[in-house]
Amino acid sequence: MATTDTPLLTPEFLARLEQLELVSRKVFRGRLKGERKSPRKGHSVEFADYRNYVVGDDLRFIDWNTYARLDRLFLKLHFEEEDLHFYLLLDDSRSMDFGAPTKFWYARQVAAALGFIGLVHSDRVVIERLNQPAQEQGVTLRGRASLWRMMDYLQGIKAEGGTRLAQGVKNFCIRHRGRGIVVLISDLMDKSGYEDALRYLVAQQMDAYVIQVLSREETDPELTGDLRLVDCEDGDMAEVTVSAPLLKKYKQTLNAFVGGAREYCNRRGMSYLLTNTQQPFENLVTSYLRTRGLVR
Amino acid sequence: MWPNFTTSMPLWSWLAILAVPPAIVILYFLKLKRRPIEVPSTFLWRKSIEDLHVNSLWQRLRQNLLLLLQLLLMLLVILALLGPSWQGRELADDRFIFLVDNSASMQAKDANPTRLERAKKLVAEYIDAMPSGAVAMIVSFADGAHVEQTFTDNRAELKRRLALIKPSAHTTSLVEALQVASGLANPGRSAFGEGDVSAAAALEATMYIFSDGKAVQPADFALGNLKAEFVPIGKPEVANLGIVAFNVGRNEERNNELQAFARVQNFGTAEVKTIISLMLDGAQIDAVEATILASSTQGVVFPLPGFGGGVLEVRIQATDDFPLDNTAWMPVEPPRPGRVLLVTPGNKPLMRALTTEHAKRVATVIEIGPAHLGTEDYRLEAASGAYDLIIFDQCTPKTMPEANTLFIGSLPPEGWKSEGTIVNPVVIDVDRLHPLTQYIDFSNVLIVESRGKLESPTGGRVLLDTTKGPILSIAPRGGFVDAVLGFNLVNSQEWETTWPVRPSFSVFGMNVLQYLGGGSESLSSMGATPGQTVALRHPGVLKSVVVKTPGGESITVPRSNRNTYEFSATDELGVYQILWDEKDQQELAVNLFSPEESDIAPATKLNLGATEVQEGERTEQVAPQPGWKPLLLAALAVLLFEWYIFNRRVYL
Repeated sequence: MATTDTPLLTPEFLARLEQLELVSRKVFRGRLKGERKSPRKGHSVEFADYRNYVVGDDLRFIDWNTYARLDRLFLKLHFEEEDLHFYLLLDDSRSMDFGAPTKFWYARQVAAALGFIGLVHSDRVVIERLNQPAQEQGVTLRGRASLWRMMDYLQGIKAEGGTRLAQGVKNFCIRHRGRGIVVLISDLMDKSGYEDALRYLVAQQMDAYVIQVLSREETDPELTGDLRLVDCEDGDMAEVTVSAPLLKKYKQTLNAFVGGAREYCNRRGMSYLLTNTQQPFENLVTSYLRTRGLVR
Repeated sequence: MWPNFTTSMPLWSWLAILAVPPAIVILYFLKLKRRPIEVPSTFLWRKSIEDLHVNSLWQRLRQNLLLLLQLLLMLLVILALLGPSWQGRELADDRFIFLVDNSASMQAKDANPTRLERAKKLVAEYIDAMPSGAVAMIVSFADGAHVEQTFTDNRAELKRRLALIKPSAHTTSLVEALQVASGLANPGRSAFGEGDVSAAAALEATMYIFSDGKAVQPADFALGNLKAEFVPIGKPEVANLGIVAFNVGRNEERNNELQAFARVQNFGTAEVKTIISLMLDGAQIDAVEATILASSTQGVVFPLPGFGGGVLEVRIQATDDFPLDNTAWMPVEPPRPGRVLLVTPGNKPLMRALTTEHAKRVATVIEIGPAHLGTEDYRLEAASGAYDLIIFDQCTPKTMPEANTLFIGSLPPEGWKSEGTIVNPVVIDVDRLHPLTQYIDFSNVLIVESRGKLESPTGGRVLLDTTKGPILSIAPRGGFVDAVLGFNLVNSQEWETTWPVRPSFSVFGMNVLQYLGGGSESLSSMGATPGQTVALRHPGVLKSVVVKTPGGESITVPRSNRNTYEFSATDELGVYQILWDEKDQQELAVNLFSPEESDIAPATKLNLGATEVQEGERTEQVAPQPGWKPLLLAALAVLLFEWYIFNRRVYL
């Protein structure tokens, strides 16, 4: 069982992660100079466009060859290299604290791995929680030196409170109006539904990834007899007499739920990935997310 | 027909009891205890439940196998406690003795598979029909009786001991079995007249005799407190051919030829035609077709030209219900001359009598002088039994040899006594029945003088008696025989008696060689009946001998203090091999040869003393058979199944 003393990532895996980088399907404008192409024109060596000369422009950027041909003054424009904004949005509700290892631990490992990749490539990494208050900012990190600060933060957060997907994502969108990549790691077990929350993400026009994490106790429950199921978040109770038909029906319901989420995301241009705490998270990061195009 | 069902409970009690299961079901659902379990979210469970409507009453009932099993268990327990019973029958009495016949005739196959198995099966049924608390005893009997199980009420133990009863090839006698059975029901009284009291209290018992009735029955037996019932085993209409005799002898017409004789008896009621074959050492050498009339015997003769010994076997080819008597064996040894040592200072008449042509066929005689008695060679030969007979003429050894002896005019060194001499004794009595003095006429024999007051050791027998005392006696010595003739035949000076010139002297010489000399001019064979103890003899001095049974088992027989080897394990029919050493071996045949056993038609009654016991059915009485046992067993099975369901989480 993973504890706060157990590191989220091993040194060996960190070494493997250094070979990877986050990939954005869209080009986003960052604040600082980084290693990413920005739509803004700046001072890189890569030619972007021409514009007419106006009084006061820097004469060093006049294209004299064009003037010789057209007898008109044009200014050369170049792409600016800026950093990528990478957002990790963690579901820290109580329902995530189930399983062995817990879904929450698994989610933090995935977040740590992706965050490390961003830090190594000087991307701006922001880690936020769904249940954090609207006014509270998450942690913003940049550069390799921030690695241990990221690990400490992830190790220190706890899963408590109910699942409020929509409110949490809404607060996040209000706090961060910029563009970038957002990865939502959650079990999506909100009785109000996940649709509103994902809609907020779509409206943000970010490159959105949804990683749904489930535990084996949810995908393949080993329950028997006459039971009173108690919801760990709201105390809701459901009395069941477990039988083979009930278990079969439950799995059908779960598959339908997961399928619905996948379809919802795909239709709105979001990448959806379902994972299980029994699946090694290293494979998730180095293999599945590579296939999805989040890392390369 | 369905047995009459009875119960001790009135109808209203039944109705009240039957109302209990529905009450339990109601309580079950009212007080259904559910185990609380925390889950991440009931979100999906609720959706599933709604689809299945699993909260409906009948759904829960159908899917709760454990509840159904508990209801069934409770129902069975209630039924068992009600004490239902069926009207049945059981044996009358509370003390039983089962006598089971396991003699040769009980191996007949007219009852599938054999009569003995049929008897055992019947006894088991009787054991099951015993009333509760009754005790029983099982005794098996053939020619003797064996208590298989003493009185007990443990039916499982009775049946276990019953199954262990094995068939035997012995003949049948009820005498010992009845004495054993009577020993309890009619305890012995004290031997002293006045104040005669019983040694123990008399216990009445019912005795069931499971037999085909082919048994020697006691003439003076009183049942006393025993009630006897005869259960005959076997079919009344059975046919059997059996060999009742088999031997080998000389052809009376051609004396140098041998013949094998077999007598076959037909115990059935119809004429039988069959082939009777003769085998020598396992290979068939002859066969004869014989037609044997009903209830009659027929002799069969097989010539044996050039026969030099071996194991002869005669076999009836017909298949009948009793195969034990269809084969007989006879191991035949060729004639072997005896070995005789004559120690004499010189006795021509005696030597002549012992070395006639006829006598040479019987024994080989070697003559030595008395001086050789002190030699090492003699001592070794005498101690090792190298001779069958040593004749001491006018001399005495220091120790008695391992052989038969004849002392002429002298006494053995120990055991015998004489005093003085008697002059001119007149023979008044000759024991003509004894082989040594048979065919001897002493009326014209004159004797000058003889040892007086000749006294033999214990077990001795006087063969020639005179007016003045015995002059020829014989006595046993361990496995040997010593004979003492009190007068000399000759001496160096003159004749001591006229006997050597009488014809009876030669006859005496032949008698000595044949009886004491160990030889035989005819064939010899060893045979016995099943169960008979055989005294084996060997000239050598061995600590033990190994006997191999027809079944292949090797039994070591130690030497007894009478210098014989007592072998009693003759239970199997067939040829036994007696292995004296690597080269020296003999055979012994055990054959049934019992017309009583071969006549396998079962009897319809037994005569136990003055009481005639007819074939009868078992004495029974009406008795309720409790039904709680099968109900409790069923309840236990349901409990085990419920435990299995609970542990394996099997669902409908």
